[in-house]
Amino acid sequence: MFYQSPLRTITLIAALCFLAIYASFGSYFAREIVIEIIILAILAISLDFCAGFGGMVSLCHGAMMGIAAYFYGMMSVKLGWGLTASAGIGLAAAVIFAGCVGWVTARISGIFFIMATLAFGQMAYTIFFRWRWLGGDDGMGGMRRFDLSAWGVNLNDGLIFTFWALGILLLVYILSALLLRSGFGRSLSGIHANEGRMQALGINTATIRTQAMAFSGLMAGLAGILAAQHTFYISPELLVWTLSGEVLLVVILGGIGTLVGPIIGAILLVLMKHSISAYTDYWHIFVGLVLIFAVLSGGRGIFGQGEYWWQKYMRGQHA
Amino acid sequence: MQNVAMDVSFWILQCLNALQYAMLLFLLSVGLTVIFGLLNFVNLAHASLYMLGAYLGISLAALTGSFWWALLIAPLLVMGIGAGLYFTLIARLRTAGPMNQVLVTFGLIFVFLDLVRIGWGDIALGLAAPPALSGTLHFLGINYPSYRLFIIGLGGTVMAGMWFILARTQIGAMIRASVENTDMAAALGIDVSRLFFLVFCCGCALAGLAGVAAAPILSATTTMGITILIPTMIVVVIGGLGSLEGAILGSLIIGFIDVFGAVLMPSFSALLTYALLAAVLVWRPHGLIAARG
Amino acid sequence: MLEVKNLSKDFGGLQIIRDLSLKVEAGERRVILGPNGAGKTTLFHLLAGTLAPSQGEIRFDGAAIGALNAVRRARLGMARSYQKNNLFESLTIRENLMLAASAALGKSGKLFRDPRHDAAVKARIDEIAEQIALTETLDAQVSTAPYGIRRQLEVGIALATKPKLLLMDEPTSGVGPSMIDHFHRLLNQLPRSITLLIIEHDMDLAFDVADRISVLNFGEKLFEGTPTETKGNAMVRSIYLGEREGGEHNA
Repeated sequence: MFYQSPLRTITLIAALCFLAIYASFGSYFAREIVIEIIILAILAISLDFCAGFGGMVSLCHGAMMGIAAYFYGMMSVKLGWGLTASAGIGLAAAVIFAGCVGWVTARISGIFFIMATLAFGQMAYTIFFRWRWLGGDDGMGGMRRFDLSAWGVNLNDGLIFTFWALGILLLVYILSALLLRSGFGRSLSGIHANEGRMQALGINTATIRTQAMAFSGLMAGLAGILAAQHTFYISPELLVWTLSGEVLLVVILGGIGTLVGPIIGAILLVLMKHSISAYTDYWHIFVGLVLIFAVLSGGRGIFGQGEYWWQKYMRGQHA
Repeated sequence: MQNVAMDVSFWILQCLNALQYAMLLFLLSVGLTVIFGLLNFVNLAHASLYMLGAYLGISLAALTGSFWWALLIAPLLVMGIGAGLYFTLIARLRTAGPMNQVLVTFGLIFVFLDLVRIGWGDIALGLAAPPALSGTLHFLGINYPSYRLFIIGLGGTVMAGMWFILARTQIGAMIRASVENTDMAAALGIDVSRLFFLVFCCGCALAGLAGVAAAPILSATTTMGITILIPTMIVVVIGGLGSLEGAILGSLIIGFIDVFGAVLMPSFSALLTYALLAAVLVWRPHGLIAARG
Repeated sequence: MLEVKNLSKDFGGLQIIRDLSLKVEAGERRVILGPNGAGKTTLFHLLAGTLAPSQGEIRFDGAAIGALNAVRRARLGMARSYQKNNLFESLTIRENLMLAASAALGKSGKLFRDPRHDAAVKARIDEIAEQIALTETLDAQVSTAPYGIRRQLEVGIALATKPKLLLMDEPTSGVGPSMIDHFHRLLNQLPRSITLLIIEHDMDLAFDVADRISVLNFGEKLFEGTPTETKGNAMVRSIYLGEREGGEHNA
């Protein structure tokens, strides 16, 4: 069950400060890395929300993000809608997709749930891969960032856009935390722990699971719109299942079921990728080995393990 | 389509293509499904072993100068790699839950991907079909590459062999009993962990065999594992995890949908398989032919 | 309160429940007796809606509930405790009770409101914790708690929903004599607003708590009567009590 412990709050603030400082004093390249981290972190929080707390290990989070990005692009570039309305449609599309997946898979679990989400994600990937009007496998460009000049904010400035993204990351964290400590979130944890008993208590577990996936889709959708606005370009690669696998990796690396862990995981993975690829072309092998090590070493992840030791130490102090 | 004869031969050709793809899928999925049925283990890296089979086959063919030696030895090497994986990772992940299994074997995909890139480079490598099978055969009014017929025959032989082992031999009876109920099988005195190891190794060897067999048609690339993984998983899930009959049925369904879909409605063919998978998972979550009661 | 008419259940030709009829009055304490394999737990599955009957009708509070699923039946005020502990293992005892209490108080689906800080939920947790004597250990992790405590929590989760009808499947299964005494007192203290249907192997407890006893064998109701009548019935003695006197003890 979720608790926003002081350790988590401190870690969250420290992580956000690190990203802010890294972006402020770094080069253009540093800001690009920070935004990459932020997008991955939002996606990972969204996955931790349903996998870590609801036991729904989804392999279609990339698809949720991509659908939002594509609908944002389609409405704003192809149909000429306003950016805010387009973003709304993008988020709605991600929520509807995630909700439908959640509803359809509400009665399956374990490897079958993983496979089902993989199938739905790949289905979405295939659609956009084939859809020539939206660029097909070439992807599409021409997306724009929100115009906040009325508030004196210019999102086309790299640093300002980084802080804007950082704000969205914080917003997603707060939204997740509030939801997870609500009656709904507690029920989600109950379903994770023992779905049958929740039903015996009169809880419609299918509804809770569907809602959880929909909220997760909303957060993943925010990452998608951010991604589209960041590079002004989207491609079907956003939806491919291996991306969802990498998001799961981030969650595990940071600490599944800790909510703040995924941010740590995203920072580590992206920094690791970039520093390794400075030396060698073969970064996959390192990522793969880290993943295997992360699972075999207990699966608590970096933050999760630290939190576990900290709690043990604190209990020792009290005893 | 000018005339009826042309039409018929066109469809015969497509049927053979579908059958050939189905056999390749079968060689891959049968190992995956029996491993799941027995060990409750989902090995995403199964397709990486297929890729390794192809690359090892190409090197062995160059080394020995014969495709047939490659076809024989590469699966054995892949089996050795599988045995190594079993002792280092698979055995201790058996009870770790599906998420951890998916994650570790996903990590293995990455590791094998780069190992192959380091060993063989990023360029696609071809493998020539053996001279005896490099021509085409003329029958039923069509010309068909004999190597593709060989793959159909190979798949059919493995299928018949698997069926014979599972249905007619004592070890097959042990495997079936263990798929049905592992604890019960152990209580009956079956050495379950040895059986697991044996089946896992055979599954890996079949993946390697599929890799070598596919190399002359598809040529070896670093993405060939990832590309075939999804259709293979779909076959296994549609057929029913752990079921041999399911793997046969699933391979045929996916093989035919894929080939005929590409001919009849090119823009929807890929979508069709995913839609089918989703439908099966929703209506019959344990597959068309469930392995356990 | 609860009325079962001509209920049958078969699994692939094997009849587990045969043409069973049962009527339980509001506030009644009804004990179900029967040897292993008599179909008692299956009967609970049919009543709670986790299995669908092959035939027959179930009425609860005057309404036919045969078509309702387990969730809907639970919402009508039916709760159940299990023979094998069916707890939220990864959570604490307090969290287990909180889930049950918030479900019963309609706080489970609330967005943005933490049931931990809800006065009604808190009061319910404290009340139930006292009833099942777990006030001291509320913050212990369930997975590491001793068996006896887990057994009490099993009943506590069901009680926390303040049900109209409580189906208890062998609450004393596997616990020692002192714990049986505790359950005995607990059952006697429960208000008559809760109707109890109990599967129980401990004879002293069964005969003391029950208003009426129904005896099942091979899925059929053999006998029904007050505890005194049951003790005096020769058939019941032979199929059930005789077996118990033979020294077999159900763990």
